[in-house]
Amino acid sequence: MNAVTSPGVHWDPYDPKYFANPYPAFNRLREEAPLYYNAQYDFYAVSRYEDVERGLFDRDTFISGRGGILEIIKQNVPIPKGVFIFEDPPLHTMHRSLLTRVFTPKKMNALEPQIRAFCAKALDPLVEGGRFNFIDDLGAEMPLRVIGMLLGIPEEDLKSVQHQANEKLRTDPGKPKDFTDHQFVGEGFEEYLDWRVKHPSDDLMTELLNAEFTDETGTTRKLTRDEVLLFISILAGAGNETTNRLIGWTGKVLAEHPDQRRQIYENRALIPQAIEELLRFEPPGPSVGRYVAKDTEFHGQKVPEGSAILFLVGGANRDPRKFTSPDKFDIHRPRVPHLTFGYGFHSCLGNALARIEGRVALDELLNRFPEWDVDLENAHLSSTSTVRGWETLPAYTPKAGKAKPVAAAPVAEEAPSGERWKMVLKTPMGPQEMVMTMNRDGNSFTGRIDSPMGGEDISEGKIDGDKLSWVMNVTKPAKIKLSFEVTQEGDTLTGHAKLGMFGKSALTGERI
Amino acid sequence: MVKITYITFSGRAHVVDVTPGGTLMRGARDNNVPGIDADCGGACVCGTCHVYIPPDWQARLGKRTEIEEATIEFSSDVKENSRLACQITISEDMDGLVVHMPETQ
Ligand code: HEM
Ligand code: FES
Repeated sequence: MNAVTSPGVHWDPYDPKYFANPYPAFNRLREEAPLYYNAQYDFYAVSRYEDVERGLFDRDTFISGRGGILEIIKQNVPIPKGVFIFEDPPLHTMHRSLLTRVFTPKKMNALEPQIRAFCAKALDPLVEGGRFNFIDDLGAEMPLRVIGMLLGIPEEDLKSVQHQANEKLRTDPGKPKDFTDHQFVGEGFEEYLDWRVKHPSDDLMTELLNAEFTDETGTTRKLTRDEVLLFISILAGAGNETTNRLIGWTGKVLAEHPDQRRQIYENRALIPQAIEELLRFEPPGPSVGRYVAKDTEFHGQKVPEGSAILFLVGGANRDPRKFTSPDKFDIHRPRVPHLTFGYGFHSCLGNALARIEGRVALDELLNRFPEWDVDLENAHLSSTSTVRGWETLPAYTPKAGKAKPVAAAPVAEEAPSGERWKMVLKTPMGPQEMVMTMNRDGNSFTGRIDSPMGGEDISEGKIDGDKLSWVMNVTKPAKIKLSFEVTQEGDTLTGHAKLGMFGKSALTGERI
Repeated sequence: MVKITYITFSGRAHVVDVTPGGTLMRGARDNNVPGIDADCGGACVCGTCHVYIPPDWQARLGKRTEIEEATIEFSSDVKENSRLACQITISEDMDGLVVHMPETQ
């Protein structure tokens, strides 16, 4: 069936071993198996710059209409009309062109003052503290606020929307994600949309509601409510996590290259090229997938119609045929375009926004923290089907010494009677701390959970030996039901919370 | 081969040989000419291959195409003689063409 074999070389997109550092594997693939076939998951991969460029540009052979994520392609997940990220012409052209006007570099650059303000708001409180977290404090905050501002979604409700977007793309280490029940429309946007219909503003949601275009039947019309919802979900999904990861890599890589960081500190005109080099060196999305719509060849070997193929941007960006000393991080290298924003018809619509966000973030970081070290022991690399990067990345400024970060006490109102448990839920935004106050009553219990995001009563509290379970309904803005199942061992809790349809997050807790 | 000169905003000239049939954008990108980013590689969706065409060449290169017109909105400092380099196919009679670049793409 498949003629391509790649003896000795191996890469598995789901294996955390490669996740931590995929580059040695990419380098071997590129040299020893420029067309790689992975039999376990039945997909092809190319990693040379030239091949990635060719593949991403050839939208007749390598189509997006079956998805751009390996699991979506393999599981043959139906893709609703309007998910333009996964569309081919003519629909893609039509849908994308509706958005292009909004995302011009000119308009994005005009957002700079607001982006700066978001950075200042996130970073100012941390200046005295001697430590901060690239993800929790900045990466998970600023890009989200920017996209919220663009879309017109109020700040306080952004978190849960982000949470949904992330959960949807999350994989469990070691295995592909099951996309069979994937919902492309994010819950929680409906109420804003309906509100915007009545209260037009100058945001993107309003612009989309009013935009007229000619659809595939030749009719000139406005977008339907569902189409607008889809577009917004796509933008919220595409614009957060990626830029968040760029900020994480900025922290990690510059901490490891203090000389170059100092040069940038002293000469901020180097920031744009530093961001380009960061994007090349650690692309937040290391691969882009396509479905092979007709037989094709790479390096004289056949890739049959019906295959799934990954274009390894992370490999192409370090191709020595294109970049000298590619494994070296060097902000002074001559500008050779990287492929981090993809290439061709689907190339990143938000690249101008991502670039300005990255540049402003670095500038504002340097304004407050000329130097930092990263605490890799307490950092965590995330694993999703689309992005690779830090889920949490604590850092400390040298003067403060390597003080071990102490978990901040959650802001809870002084608790009434009952047991109290401090719990940490490992969410994609990083660990979320909460305090549960509970009162046992035979096989059941009542109580509430307080977290920095607010408090909620719990329901359906059950006790079965050392097993506890309860439910907490979060209502704003999306109605998500969190179902907890934990095991108590003395003064500790371990278990998980199921977050609606978005999968499980691990939970640990201790009695306080 | 035809000779094309790309002049950056700061005035530096890059002279490259381009094979007819390719695009003005490819000529720059394949030769790593700075100042033409061409992020989308000629799909005409990014507007980062913006160049200015000198008056004596304008008529010969023709007008912007319809999709080009839509995409050029992406570019800054668009002038009457602005074109997207990926939408210009190099032909034999373009030997000696000189194009100028905007300050930013
Ligand atoms: C560092 C940050 C970012 C990276 C690395 C990145 C990367 C990418 C890549 C590789 C693609 C191509 C996918 C494919 O070919 O299948 C893409 C497409 C896209 N990106 Fe980004 N992106 C980033 C930030 C953003 C931002 C801030 C937005 C805006 C809200 C955005 C919106 C989009 C959209 C809408 C598409 C789909 C374009 C299409 O299919 O025509 N991205 N991005
Ligand atoms: S290269 Fe993107 S528009 Fe010309």
